Parts: sequence; structure tokens; C-alpha cells
Amino acid sequence: MSDTAGALRLGQVVPDFELPTYDPVKGDFGTFSLENQRKKGRWTILFFYPADFTFV
Amino acid sequence: MGCDIVTVSTDTQFVHLAWQRSEKELAGVRYAMAADRTGRIARMFGVYDEGSGHALRGTFMLNPEGKLLNMEMNFYNLGRNIDELMRKFKANVYMTKKTNEVCPSKWKDEGDKTLKDPGAAMVGKVHEALQG
Repeated sequence: MSDTAGALRLGQVVPDFELPTYDPVKGDFGTFSLENQRKKGRWTILFFYPADFTFV
Repeated sequence: MGCDIVTVSTDTQFVHLAWQRSEKELAGVRYAMAADRTGRIARMFGVYDEGSGHALRGTFMLNPEGKLLNMEMNFYNLGRNIDELMRKFKANVYMTKKTNEVCPSKWKDEGDKTLKDPGAAMVGKVHEALQG
């Protein structure tokens, strides 16, 4: 998927992506991978918010 | 429940760490905090605010195959209701198991009224089906 493609719609399969993470449970950095979620058979809830240190 | 919640902003993972460790409201956080520095993923989901470089308050639910089943988007000044998010999640899991049922708006949990085999016989008779 190109970076300029339109936003996803309901019912579409989301293209695989990865993002660096901080994992408070491990107290360490990691990677979120949608491909891994599919391989593990896990549901995913992505929760976007504007910025850290603000009032969520 | 077989679900992972991941929060995403355009901050770095280093700032996520600093925020989580300093803000007492986040002391019990058990989800990964992802860093979408370029906004590429926020753009993909249609929540990137080009003017500010921030992601708007969007929530997206993906099934284990990666299919997008729900989306909710709020502007900066409105928070999201976790109870409603969990209701949607439970309903999605339920309907994955019971593929001939649909969950109406008042459905909250297993055992609540669903509509079974919605088809021609139910057209114009939803009220009766919900009572039955």
C-alpha cells in the first residue's frame, strides 16, 4: 500500500505493518507487528490519540 | 480474551516510556504503546491531522485475520467510552462464533437477545423478533 492511498474501509483486510513500541509490562521496547497478530490468531484494538503528556 | 490493545501516537517510544513512568494515571498500563513517528499508520487509518502532525482519537478493531470490523473517530476534545468499546469487542467475538446471529444495539453480553437468521421472514418484523 502506498503512503498516499486512501484510508481503510470497514471489511478490508489491513495491510501488514510494524511499529516500535514501549511495553510497560516488560519495561522495555519492542515491536508491534500485525503479521504476528495474524499468526498468533489475536484480535487487535488500535487506539490512536493526539500526544503524550496531554489530557486523554 | 485473545485481544491486544495497542495505543498509537506520533510520539517516540522513548517519550511513551517517560510519560508512562511519570504519570500516575498510567501506572497500571498493560498495553503496548506504539510510536508512529511519520504518521504513516495514522494516515492509513484516516486519523492523521496534517495541520498538527497529531493523530485524532480513532479506535479500530481488527479480527484475527486482520479484517477491520469497527472504527470510531472523535475530534480532540471528546474522550472514548471503554464500556462501549468492550461491548463492541464482545459482540464481534460472539458473532464470530454464532455466524447466523446479529447483535442489536442493546446487546451487552452473551445471553442477551440477538436476532437469529435475519432474512425475508424478519423484514418488517424486527420488533416481534426482539420480543420473542
